[in-house]
Amino acid sequence: MQTQLSRRSLLKLTGLAGLGAAAAGCSSGPSSGAAWAMWSSSPAERKVWEDFSAYVERELKVESLPTLTPSGGYPTKLDLQLVSGTAGLVTALNGWLIPTYAARGAHRPLDDLIAGDPDFDLDDFYRPIRDISSFNGQTYAIGFDVAPTVIYYNKTLLAAKGIPAPSPTVPMSWATFRDLAKELTGPDQYGFTCAPSVDDLVSWIYCAGGNVMNEAWDKSALNAPEAMEAVQYVVDLFVKDKVTPPIANLVTESSLANFMEGNVAFMHNGPWQVVNVRKAKFDWDIMPFPAGAAGSTPRVSGSSFAIPAKVRGEDLDLAWKLLKTLTSEGALDIYAEAGRNNPARLSAGSAFKPPPDNLGIVQDILAGKIAGGHPFDVTTNWNQVKQLLGQDLPRTFLGQVSVQEAIDGITPRLDVLMEQHQDNVRQASARKG
Amino acid sequence: MAVDTLPAAATTPRQHQRAAKKPRNKEALTAWLFILPSLIGFLIFTAGPVLAAGVISLLNWNLFSSPTWAGLKNFARLGPDPTFWSALGNTAYFTFVSVPVTIVVSLALALLLNEGVRRIAVFRSLLLLPYATITVAVAFVWIWLYIPRDGLVNAVLGLVGIDGPQWLISDNWAMPALIAMSVWKSFGFGMVVFLAGLQAIPQQLYEAAKVDGSNAWQTFRSVTLPMLSPALFFVVVTSVIGSFQVFDQALIMTNGGPGSRTTTLVMYIYRTGFENYDQGYAAAQSLVLFGFIVVITAAQFLLQRRLVHYDN
Repeated sequence: MQTQLSRRSLLKLTGLAGLGAAAAGCSSGPSSGAAWAMWSSSPAERKVWEDFSAYVERELKVESLPTLTPSGGYPTKLDLQLVSGTAGLVTALNGWLIPTYAARGAHRPLDDLIAGDPDFDLDDFYRPIRDISSFNGQTYAIGFDVAPTVIYYNKTLLAAKGIPAPSPTVPMSWATFRDLAKELTGPDQYGFTCAPSVDDLVSWIYCAGGNVMNEAWDKSALNAPEAMEAVQYVVDLFVKDKVTPPIANLVTESSLANFMEGNVAFMHNGPWQVVNVRKAKFDWDIMPFPAGAAGSTPRVSGSSFAIPAKVRGEDLDLAWKLLKTLTSEGALDIYAEAGRNNPARLSAGSAFKPPPDNLGIVQDILAGKIAGGHPFDVTTNWNQVKQLLGQDLPRTFLGQVSVQEAIDGITPRLDVLMEQHQDNVRQASARKG
Repeated sequence: MAVDTLPAAATTPRQHQRAAKKPRNKEALTAWLFILPSLIGFLIFTAGPVLAAGVISLLNWNLFSSPTWAGLKNFARLGPDPTFWSALGNTAYFTFVSVPVTIVVSLALALLLNEGVRRIAVFRSLLLLPYATITVAVAFVWIWLYIPRDGLVNAVLGLVGIDGPQWLISDNWAMPALIAMSVWKSFGFGMVVFLAGLQAIPQQLYEAAKVDGSNAWQTFRSVTLPMLSPALFFVVVTSVIGSFQVFDQALIMTNGGPGSRTTTLVMYIYRTGFENYDQGYAAAQSLVLFGFIVVITAAQFLLQRRLVHYDN
């Protein structure tokens, strides 16, 4: 039987369908369970977080609800979730963002929860990740990974040139490193690769005894001789010594992609890339960062879990249990066994297994047994600092401006950002009361 | 003779008016019903956010803490902010180069296709493909094309003896490189609109021009261009608005660099609001951009009265 649909009925149906769709779109996600947010950019990463999720369900006997977002879009999504109150009970944070969120009151301090929980041992976490996860004298997050920057080297290339493998315990000097990089550079072969970004520059600056900001963190220190020397050294590797692969653009330039080509001798990167470098079709290993005037004290970075400020009451209790579970030895064993990065707990450290053969130096550096490390010093407006340096410093790597010119141009603007940082700290202190 | 209906003269003028109004009211109601979904969408997703931006621009708000009153302070910050003006300059450069080039390319291709090209639908579809492809994917392909040493663009230039520049990292060439990619990405839209406009021009006008002895250029200037002016006006207005909002390709291909040579206004607004957590200032910048677009569009509508020819 055919039924005729009048125009009025059609309009009514369309309206109802629209309302239905809107209602479906507006309905919120799962309202119960242990919801947590994490970045994930590959199937391998996804597998790790699925294993974490299963572990949480086993331990807590509640449904684990991870929200996984590609790392590039994670901060923006997290912002929106935090503002709209849909962020879940626990959120993962890259260490350099912790002061940014803490100063703005997006996450809550954890000191009261730590103090009230005799089962939780903060001392089992490496000192650098505890520093990275703190702001204004309070702990805002608990780490799940931490590692110093190291140098990866292509054993096959070094052996072909008859160069002995570098020492895993004694960092080489900057002069030796430059000489080796030059020696290993030839037609379609390069001595060194790093990203032309501030994230990679800071390790050299720390090793030279400098920093991006002064000791009081209220002025730029990039124009201090130590920092200038470090920036000049790295820029010379690109522009004067030409030991690096040519820069094609400033957005997708990747030291890992360069190294994986198999024609680069040394790569500046962190142990978090071990899982990817394991796919290399050549022999490789890692060594301590080359020592500058202040020794081998490269950037130590890490990531942590934190609790959004809006989580309260019974939710807070579950959030703390969830956070403890996600950073427990059992969870970090899963993380380390997958080779994602060095776990933040000393008790889970041994789980991060070779290859490479020298992987143990990561723990030794963190424990201060060989060389050292420098927690990544970031301000509460590091996004802006990063933008400023990310825009103006790379031009030195391209030889478009000298290091002196670039830093002279950056310094006044960086000084303003340091003042803004101090304002942020003051406001956060006032909120703390 | 039996009369079973009232004669027409029996209805009063008032009754007649009421009878005539009824269908009109019904038509109006139907029209409103059709417009309603769009109107609701406009109020919720366009007018609402604009009003919200107006309020937020008067606040200090970092997204997470409670906002505080700022008054007009955020607008006052715009004057001495060199990055804002440099971003505005870059956006204007992008707009005033990319829009004319896009229109010339679109119009030229539309004229070509309109000249009895066989399998016009196939060509139209092929030429529309860049417009239909998402910008992010296109941007990544163009990054590869622009690689200084091994990229296709410099390889082709090399064939004719030109040593191509370091496109995306060059002070002088980064913006032209972005413009070239944007023209390639968006000419398809203008081309389709122009093609539709060209096919709607009555043939009698061309025949009359021929009888009058017009050559090709005179015919184009006196017949095609005036008759196409509504389509041209539409493409210019939408292209200018779109170009002032350029964001994704610049973010992906150059991240605003080298230096700040390709930092566009929308990119700066995004960074201010979502990376620097300065919502009030970002809202103030958005409103200023909105103002620029409104003024330029209004100017175009004023010019329209003199330059656009409507058949009716």
